Amino acid sequence: MITPLATVARSLVFVCLALALCAALMQGLGYNALLVLTSVAEGAFLRSGAFENSLRWGVPLFLTATGVSIAFRAGFFNIGAQGQFYLGAIFAATAAQGLNGGPAFLVIPAILCAGMMGGALWALWPALMKLGSGTDEVITTLMGNFIAGLLLVWVTSGPLKDPAGSGQQASSPVLPPAYRISDSSGVSPMTLGLALVVGVAIWLLVNRTAFGVLSGLAGRNGTMVRWQGASSWRIGLSSFLLSGALAGLAGAVEFAGPTGRIASGFLPGHGFTATLVALVANFSILGMAAAALFFGGLAAAALYLPIMAGLPAAAIEVINASIALVITARARVLDRLTGRKETSS
Amino acid sequence: MTSNAPALECRDVTVRYGDVTALSGVTAAFAQGLIHAVVGQNGAGKTTFARVAAGLVQPAEGEVAIHGQPIRTGQVAAARAAGVELVHQSFALPPSFTVSEAMEFGASGKGSLFSRRGLRRRWRQHLSDLQVIADPAQRIRDLPVESQQGVEIARALITQARVLILDEPTAVLTPLGIETLFARVRRLKASGVTVILILHKIREVLAIADTLSVLRAGCLVDGPRPAAAIDEAELTRLIVGAAGPAPGIQAARPEAGPASAASFSTQTPALELHALHTGADSEGPGLEGVDLRIAPGEILGIAGVEGNGQKALVRAIAGLATVQGGRILLGGQDVGRRPLGARRAAGLRIIPFERNTEGLSLSSSLWENWSAGGLLQRSLLSPVRPDRLRRDCKSALDEWNVRYHSPAQPAGSLSGGNAQKVILAREIDPGARLIIAAQPTRGLDIGATSFVWQALRAARDRGAAVLVISSDLDELFDISDRVAVMLSGRISGRFSPPYSLNAVGAAMTGAATQGEAL
Repeated sequence: MITPLATVARSLVFVCLALALCAALMQGLGYNALLVLTSVAEGAFLRSGAFENSLRWGVPLFLTATGVSIAFRAGFFNIGAQGQFYLGAIFAATAAQGLNGGPAFLVIPAILCAGMMGGALWALWPALMKLGSGTDEVITTLMGNFIAGLLLVWVTSGPLKDPAGSGQQASSPVLPPAYRISDSSGVSPMTLGLALVVGVAIWLLVNRTAFGVLSGLAGRNGTMVRWQGASSWRIGLSSFLLSGALAGLAGAVEFAGPTGRIASGFLPGHGFTATLVALVANFSILGMAAAALFFGGLAAAALYLPIMAGLPAAAIEVINASIALVITARARVLDRLTGRKETSS
Repeated sequence: MTSNAPALECRDVTVRYGDVTALSGVTAAFAQGLIHAVVGQNGAGKTTFARVAAGLVQPAEGEVAIHGQPIRTGQVAAARAAGVELVHQSFALPPSFTVSEAMEFGASGKGSLFSRRGLRRRWRQHLSDLQVIADPAQRIRDLPVESQQGVEIARALITQARVLILDEPTAVLTPLGIETLFARVRRLKASGVTVILILHKIREVLAIADTLSVLRAGCLVDGPRPAAAIDEAELTRLIVGAAGPAPGIQAARPEAGPASAASFSTQTPALELHALHTGADSEGPGLEGVDLRIAPGEILGIAGVEGNGQKALVRAIAGLATVQGGRILLGGQDVGRRPLGARRAAGLRIIPFERNTEGLSLSSSLWENWSAGGLLQRSLLSPVRPDRLRRDCKSALDEWNVRYHSPAQPAGSLSGGNAQKVILAREIDPGARLIIAAQPTRGLDIGATSFVWQALRAARDRGAAVLVISSDLDELFDISDRVAVMLSGRISGRFSPPYSLNAVGAAMTGAATQGEAL
């Protein structure tokens, strides 16, 4: 059995390995690697206001990552978080427009619920295809991201178009401040409280309900659970829908929080980064909170990089990708090691 | 090539897989140009023998000679070069390939370029020479089983094979398909090919073979000898061997037995199957009209050579197979359209064939494995207390004498016998009304084996019905209150004690003698 502490230590080692890899790459390209890393650290945590900025990016990442982890536990590789996030934002924006003028204590929960419904809907059809006819969910959820991206373009330049918009980037009108759950800083009691509530709820679900035990078993050996009388629909569909709903909630939070509107192509790498958060944390809730803060910090630092180290902001994506690379390689190595353990015993 | 040398000769071939000796000191010579049958029960070493001859398995000791020339054992290329080809029991052609692509792949030709049409032309001729009816442009997976087998044989004959080995070629075929196959085999014989058939159905053996050899528990007990000089009864005896239950199991037998069965027999049957039909699948034939009836407090044994529909039977009762016709009644309730969860709630318990995939999640903890069935009977959001589940699991495992460290250890860290006890602890609970035990002692040592039988007897004596599926007749005769035999998806015989080994063996192999009706 792997202790939680060892998991943390291992994740840290792999993140450091990835950072070293990036540093070597940047040094090789003629940048000062040390300056790059220190400016990342400053932009993420050290500079005044940097931590707040990391939280701003960390909250939606955390919400989406919990969703990814729920699907993963049940054995489904939902890489459609991006699309589910977009659909959540679209539904939230639609609800906000429809309910405009209502009392905030009703409209805000409605916006969040609409976001969850949108995300769940975008997970529903891959789930039906997977459970009904075995269509690989990796393909369908991945393709769904592109469709959702185009839907977002259409919605923001059509039905939800901001009439006063400049036309630079198609977007919806800005949400009235009364319905916002945070200002543009993205950090407010409401956003942080929401992350906390979701974190606790998901922890309880995973560790203290029949669903938690059974979805974990189904993820590791679906055949065994089927022979125990599980309907693959019950566990599979609920995992899939919850996974999408959480990504959709992140979309609603982003819409009603820091961004205040939806815009075509906003937060383009969000779903991918959230998947990384879940992988780095090995699906533990506390680990995902920490990893979300770390990757949120990287996103925050992206603004500082061009100023401090003369590096384009895209360098952050190189760091993300290196971590993904190392984590994937780790998964392979671990698979092989555990596989050997099973055959030798 | 020496003209009188045997086509295939084995000398003292011994094969071990770990601690298991699959073949021990097999010495046999198969003459050229004849049809030879190698027969035996499951686990007798037939497939291993075929694989040694084809170079797929490296024997620990012994030699193989083809047409008098010793070949390097354990090398497919060497066996191929000497003209030996093997057609596997489960077909080996890539399902997504077209026939012509698969043939070209099998020919392992030079790495030149091909056109599709060129390939088709080339192989159409080869197929029609062998009277295999298959369009070279069709995909393997779209072909009927008979044609797939024809293509497999045609593939094996590309390289001018002199010795063709077919491993259980009739297992997947209909009676008509078997006729076609036998006609093909006879044509091959006429063209000078030596054919070795691995078979277990006696009628088929006697219908086609020129000589036969019998393997039992890895040893060659007879042959090759002319098939004409042997009758069904003698061959059955040779295959099944002398009866005699294992002493450890005999000692564990309680005195109750049939008497206790009688006291429950007036009740509604725990299980009734009426004319049950399911479709065939990759794992064997489907059910073709199975009628069964088990009373509470009774153990019914299902005998039969593996792959005769036993898996379909278990899946159908579990609700995991597509039932095409017939009825399934659990305790008098028709459950034919109800899912396994509902059937389990009605008292169905299953010890499945595959302990490590269907029975347990090896990478999950013992307490999760143990509690899965119970948790599935609750709502998904019902709260659980892992510490309490761990405690309950611990007391259950202690009661069943499982050797383990902690309920949190993964199931994969247990030995086979202990893993099976975890499944018993989960499946044999007070709510069990019908227990399906599919090969419950496979791979277990004698201690664990007798533990399993005792547990099933105890469940029977408490009033549960037990359906035991085993290919070990000694075990079945010892535990069962009645025995039914499955052959090709049907019940080919029903027996009650005292069991006649010959009669059961005949029903298993499809020989003429039919079992006494119950």
